Amino acid sequence: MYLGIDIGSSSSKAAIIDRNMAIVATHVINIGTGTRGPSQVIEEVMQKANITQEEILYTVVTGYGRVTFQQANAQITEISCHAKGVSYLMKGIRTIIDIGGQDAKVIRIEADGRVKNFVMNEKCAAGTGRFLEVMARVLGCDISELSDLADSATNDIPISSVCTVFAESEVISRLASGASVEDVARGAHLSIAKRIVGMCNRVGFEADITMTGGVALNKNVVKVLSEELNMEIKAAPETQAVGAIGAAVFAYERHNKQD
Amino acid sequence: MSKLNNLIDEFVEAALSPSEAIEKSKQITGKEIVGCFPVYTPEEIIYAAGFLPVGMWGGKTEIRYADKYLQSFCCSIMRSNIEYGIKGVYKSLKATIIPAFCDTLKCIIENWKVAIPDIPVIPVVYPQNRTDTFGYAYLVAEFTRFKSEMEKLSGKTISESELAAAFDIYENYRSLMRSFVEIVKDYPVTINARKRHLIIKSGYFMDKKHYSELMKELIDALKAMPKEKHSGPRVVGTGLIFEPIELTDIFVENQISLVEDDFAQESRQFRAVARTEGTAMDKMAYRVVDLRGCTFLYEEQKSKGDMLVEMVKRNKADAVFVSMMKFCDPEEFDYPIIKKKLDDAGIPILYIETEMHMDSYEQIRTRIQSFSEMLM
Repeated sequence: MYLGIDIGSSSSKAAIIDRNMAIVATHVINIGTGTRGPSQVIEEVMQKANITQEEILYTVVTGYGRVTFQQANAQITEISCHAKGVSYLMKGIRTIIDIGGQDAKVIRIEADGRVKNFVMNEKCAAGTGRFLEVMARVLGCDISELSDLADSATNDIPISSVCTVFAESEVISRLASGASVEDVARGAHLSIAKRIVGMCNRVGFEADITMTGGVALNKNVVKVLSEELNMEIKAAPETQAVGAIGAAVFAYERHNKQD
Repeated sequence: MSKLNNLIDEFVEAALSPSEAIEKSKQITGKEIVGCFPVYTPEEIIYAAGFLPVGMWGGKTEIRYADKYLQSFCCSIMRSNIEYGIKGVYKSLKATIIPAFCDTLKCIIENWKVAIPDIPVIPVVYPQNRTDTFGYAYLVAEFTRFKSEMEKLSGKTISESELAAAFDIYENYRSLMRSFVEIVKDYPVTINARKRHLIIKSGYFMDKKHYSELMKELIDALKAMPKEKHSGPRVVGTGLIFEPIELTDIFVENQISLVEDDFAQESRQFRAVARTEGTAMDKMAYRVVDLRGCTFLYEEQKSKGDMLVEMVKRNKADAVFVSMMKFCDPEEFDYPIIKKKLDDAGIPILYIETEMHMDSYEQIRTRIQSFSEMLM
């Protein structure tokens, strides 16, 4: 058995594949690096797979918390692991948009899953999951409700600030001016989409495109982003666990290369 | 091997502890110190006047006072230098030399007088049009004016032979540095990207004559060793400066070797070979006239992109690493032009935006490691 762990800033993901490279189990816990999330997600994915630690032949860790996680055989970046995971799960994908808790990346991949080029946001939280968390808090809803709210929007309200902190003030000001929660939710999604389109243009993008990471669970963000790119975004299976699955595939490859 | 390691340690220690290194150089030479802002200053004239020129390329310090004089769009090297000046770190300087290579440098010259009134500032202005004869004539005139400023500061006249001797010391230093960056390509394990940077940087805090003697020993010691094998990515570096130092650590973590550089703080200082004819002043002026591919020196037909492509080819490098100092306008405006050249040549680019006062390196680490994984 081969274990892949993706320790993000706000969630921990794990995947186990067997010697035939088939997925045995995946698991996601919504707490990330610096918490009990990594150990918990490993424990629970092994319970799901009904295996013990001794059966794990090789472990690869990825994600923001990869450097401090000591129990793995190797650490590989989430950019390489998302590329590997997507090429394992889907055929024909050439561009991956991965938006996580505090990172946003656009990754171009070769037909064989190797990374061709990538861009990543700089250190600020604009265009990431953290931006949506802040927006949800200001709008007084759960982050999981944003998508449905935005689907009910009737107007496009631009959120012009790219900075999450400034955007928060801007949204409060919009709400005070009488804008509806639904319209502001869509405005927040549009703001993310425009930022991601900028990144796509920087690195260049080509079909087929897929989206991974926690923000891909927000259907309205995917829809708005598709509209802005003028291109269909194909849904990735196991959206949140793609990086962990890629890590597990790397674990399989590295172990069998060792042999 | 222990002699080699001792030499490397001496250079590295000097680069990591500039104040101590400068104090040591001061004690060895008995000279007073003159600080030199980036990018180029006529150090030979300062040296001929009997001073010890030292580099002022910023550093990591908490900014508490500098923002009174600098706007948010000024680069962090300038911010650090003003902060250090106000905090008294530079109190032993006899004078500060500031060349007017960018808008911030140009304006800092005036603000320095108000912010740090105890340390005299001497400006030096390099010409935009260098390749026509009037560019050279202007440079000679400007360096002559600068010489008279140094004479006033030292209270003595600089003779032709003193300037020629200083020029020879600097030209010997530059020649050794060209040899060093060439030979170090064969020793990427003993002298990794971090050590390479620090060894070059330490030259800013030592007397060039003494530094050159140590550099000669280092080169000889390296030559005596068998060449080293290296399996990691090979990159050519460009930008103002290969810092903060944590950036070089991430290169080492990912076994990335720097096979050639175009950093303003490194090879741009010494890659132009001096002409043999003329006086020392002529040769100094011609070195500026002849330097190609530098962002801070105007070129009608920018050669930097082609130069980087050529560097990649002759070193069989895998990529170009761009260390972009945030708000360094000249470098930032050059980037789209060099990017196009590199893209056309199919050369991957790792673009990292840096600041002197960075605290978190996780995203940079991920980008550099991903880039390394992509290349291998």
